[in-house]
Amino acid sequence: MNNVIVYAEHRRGETRKVTFELVSEARKLADALGGKAYAVAVGPGSAQLAEQLKDYPLDAVYLNEDPDVDAFVLDPIVDYLEAAAKLAGPALMLIPNSLAGRDVAGRLLVRLDAGITADVIEFKVEDGAVACVSPKLGGALITTCELRPASYGISTVRPNAFAARPGGSGAELIPLEKPAGKAYAAAVESDVEEGSGELALEEAPVVVAGGRGLGGPEPFETLLKPLARALGGAVGASRAAADAGWVPYNLQIGQTGKTVTPSLYIAVGISGAIQHKVGMRASGTIVAINKDGAAPIAEFSDLLVVGDAFRIVPELTKLIEASKG
Amino acid sequence: MKIVVTVKLVPDPNAEKRIDPQTKRLVRTGVETMLNPYDEYALEAALQLKEGAGGDTTVTLFTMGPEALKETLRKALAMGADEAFVLSDPALEGSDVSVTSYAMAQALRKLPFDLLIVGGLTDDSSTGAVPGALAEHLGLPCVTNARKAEVTDGRLQVERETDAGYQTVSVPLPALLTTALTFGEPRYASLKGIMGAKKKTIATMSLAELGLDRPVGASGSKTELLTFAPPPARGKGQTIEASDGVSGAQAIFDFLKEKKLV
Ligand SMILES: Cc1cc2nc3c(=O)[nH]c(=O)nc-3n(C[C@H](O)[C@H](O)[C@H](O)COP(=O)(O)OP(=O)(O)OC[C@H]3O[C@@H](n4cnc5c(N)ncnc54)[C@H](O)[C@@H]3O)c2cc1C
Ligand SMILES: Nc1ncnc2c1ncn2[C@@H]1O[C@H](COP(=O)(O)O)[C@@H](O)[C@H]1O
Repeated sequence: MNNVIVYAEHRRGETRKVTFELVSEARKLADALGGKAYAVAVGPGSAQLAEQLKDYPLDAVYLNEDPDVDAFVLDPIVDYLEAAAKLAGPALMLIPNSLAGRDVAGRLLVRLDAGITADVIEFKVEDGAVACVSPKLGGALITTCELRPASYGISTVRPNAFAARPGGSGAELIPLEKPAGKAYAAAVESDVEEGSGELALEEAPVVVAGGRGLGGPEPFETLLKPLARALGGAVGASRAAADAGWVPYNLQIGQTGKTVTPSLYIAVGISGAIQHKVGMRASGTIVAINKDGAAPIAEFSDLLVVGDAFRIVPELTKLIEASKG
Repeated sequence: MKIVVTVKLVPDPNAEKRIDPQTKRLVRTGVETMLNPYDEYALEAALQLKEGAGGDTTVTLFTMGPEALKETLRKALAMGADEAFVLSDPALEGSDVSVTSYAMAQALRKLPFDLLIVGGLTDDSSTGAVPGALAEHLGLPCVTNARKAEVTDGRLQVERETDAGYQTVSVPLPALLTTALTFGEPRYASLKGIMGAKKKTIATMSLAELGLDRPVGASGSKTELLTFAPPPARGKGQTIEASDGVSGAQAIFDFLKEKKLV
């Protein structure tokens, strides 16, 4: 396991920050392991993505514009990643901890007879062994888990945990041959984009989250969105807000929602139940605005301002806008 | 139609979680357990499909874990599942994801099904890798993150969430399905369900019945837990009473400035 291979997840050539974080970390790991760093970009748009990956210190990018990758659910991607892994030789596979990433990781685990570590936020390489640091049990424990020596290992990696460091010497582009003799059962009948293409919640450097205290859907638009925009961040929510139908479920943060680790988390009208806490406790700085000074969120906020969100948030947005000049 | 749902019993996040310092394993017995939240949605999907299909459709639960946790399964039976199987064997202790998915697959071969529904993610290990690994071991078409599903003419028709939106897709049965949390709020057990669950069977399976051809438990695992510790303590921060909106906003702004966040 001395090479490192990144699954460059993308949608028609558009990728997310986590891909650049992974390829940057791949270089570091490959150097420590004495191997090479590769990325695999397949499906329509992969050539466009490969061009962007040239700015990063990879040895090579495997690519194939195969339309089957978009025409069938996941199976072609798994086949291509398996093929690339076998071509490159023993490797650590780095996969984003995203919906598709987790699906792919589970399939590859069996294909490559590999071990897996999940939701990794730090790697340590010593004498050729890879130790992976991950929060577990909703962040109540931080574990270090070693991938036992084997040909292949897999890690799903948390977005926002590693820095993207451009600086490439022009990775070689290697066409990856289409795996032969495959038949795919799960044809995509329709593929619909939802949401407004706003910053992905898990990748946002700042998250402004709202809860039941906001009382309805409008304040998410009129209070939180402008504040998030002023801070260059994204809007999130508690489950109470998602359950009430005020925001879509993909904004929910917590045990049964997303886990986020922004540099700044602002909780507005959120009480801070344990199930919410586990999705945001690892954030850099936590600020809460709550009417109730005794709300549980006081226990794990760096700053709690006791007051009415409807009065404080617009003023805060103004101050931040003004400071930007 | 026969539906099998995999459910894991996980420690309640409100209960104190302990790891045995000797074995470095999560203590799974003697603490409060609950159904893994994602698996409640998987079960809800199964029950909805059962209601839709009617006739002789059955829902079977499968879990791998200590036998002592069996009683937590009653709750799932009370929601409307028909029977349950527990794969329990001391030799499985310390199994990582690769071993767990292998052992689960071997056990699931003994339970004929048309549809296997798996939760998306566990609360304790959170790899989300088990569904994909099961699909590979069992050679099943795998459709993940469903928010709607229906079976018509022997095909599973699914609306599945993606990171960008959603897709519609259909696959022939038998197949593996995982559910998203948007599938629909899991139902509560009715009083009748709770009474009825007492009479439903929970059968135990052991490794000896499965005919395994590779080691399981810690020795067969491909990962090893080296260390675990609570995260760095996050001290209680400051609390400021805001007399009005402007002063509250100013307090936050000054704090963010000091932290170089604005
Ligand atoms: C199995 C399970 C899984 C769960 N998963 C999640 C999850 O993933 N994410 C999650 O968030 N929750 C989850 N929950 C729910 C969780 O237990 C809480 O019920 C939920 O987080 C509460 O949301 P809230 O803080 O918005 O609402 P509340 O607890 O009702 O808090 C509202 C807060 O707003 C404050 N407030 C009211 N008006 C104002 C105002 N004008 N200005 C300022 N403050 C105001 C109040 O003082 C109060 O503290 C889960 C629960 C279970 C059982
Ligand atoms: N020991 C287990 N017993 C039953 N089901 C399990 C077990 N481990 C994982 N699963 C299933 O696999 C899903 C994903 O688990 P994981 O890959 O561990 O996050 C869970 O939601 C369960 O449905």
